[in-house]
Amino acid sequence: MPTLEMANPAALPADWRDIFALTKPRVMSLVVFTGLAGLLAAPVLPPLVLGFTAILCIALAAGACGALNQWYEADLDAKMRRTAKRPLPAGRMDPQSALHFGVGLGSFSVLLMGLATNWLAAILLAASILFYVLVYTVWLKPRTAQNIVIGGAAGAFPPLIGWVAATGHVAALPLLLFAVIFLWTPPHFWALSLFVRSDYAAAGIPMLPVVAGVTNTRRQIFLYSLPMAAAAIAPWPLGMTGPIYGISAAILSFVFLVLAGRVLTNRATDPARMEPEKHLFAFSVLYLFALFTVLVADRFLPW
Amino acid sequence: MTHEDEIIRKRQRERARIMALLLGAFVVLLFFITMAKTGLNW
Repeated sequence: MPTLEMANPAALPADWRDIFALTKPRVMSLVVFTGLAGLLAAPVLPPLVLGFTAILCIALAAGACGALNQWYEADLDAKMRRTAKRPLPAGRMDPQSALHFGVGLGSFSVLLMGLATNWLAAILLAASILFYVLVYTVWLKPRTAQNIVIGGAAGAFPPLIGWVAATGHVAALPLLLFAVIFLWTPPHFWALSLFVRSDYAAAGIPMLPVVAGVTNTRRQIFLYSLPMAAAAIAPWPLGMTGPIYGISAAILSFVFLVLAGRVLTNRATDPARMEPEKHLFAFSVLYLFALFTVLVADRFLPW
Repeated sequence: MTHEDEIIRKRQRERARIMALLLGAFVVLLFFITMAKTGLNW
């Protein structure tokens, strides 16, 4: 039996752990959570197995996006400290396997969604994959500092898909949830890109701090936080949710705005002194989890 | 068998095992989806 060169680890069959890592499991957890919240916030709940399948499909689609993103950006990932150890830039997997895995997983998730729930949910799922891979990863990310703004729409799809999987139609509340994540994405990623901007600059990715400067980015973070807070609170005065959600959303959004205000007034350019940016980034993840948790709690608690 | 062959065999074995588990889970899932879609909610 011929032996393979160990000097070229990509010639070996990929380890299953590396295939799993391609799906970006940590990102997947937030996507699954918001998709589940969208499904549970719907006025009608599907049978348990169909709800489970809908969430599974959203998770598989997110995994496919992660794999295709890493396949396309392997050369950029190799230039950034944060991503250089991923399976493709580290040479532990050959690119074609990652491409086949991503396309296969994405197609499977769309077909299963259509067969198990409804084809509108499947079309939205396919649109979110194509938007993330083609519009964000291939087109916008390497070309414009507004990449995160428009690309954020891809991450905003899951609650809408969860809702449509349960009800079969689009409504105002999931569209507002879409708007919340869409407007949350720029402050979240720009806070991160402020304190890792040397990484993005090294990889030649035109993130806002690299192109427009630190001060302008801080101003943009605060400006995007305002409509995000408005969209997050809006379901309550519009009568779509109760006071549990409304009051919680107001408190959470207030804290978000205070942290964004601290980022706005920070003058540091050294990443080591960017505590406000790090606090905002950490809180932004908690914010989204908490907001969608209270949305579901509001739907099921009897107030 | 060389060290490289052992690594290849080990990885193939692990991947085959996981693929078998996933296919088994998929068959079970399809069964329950069919039950739910045909109105036989368990």
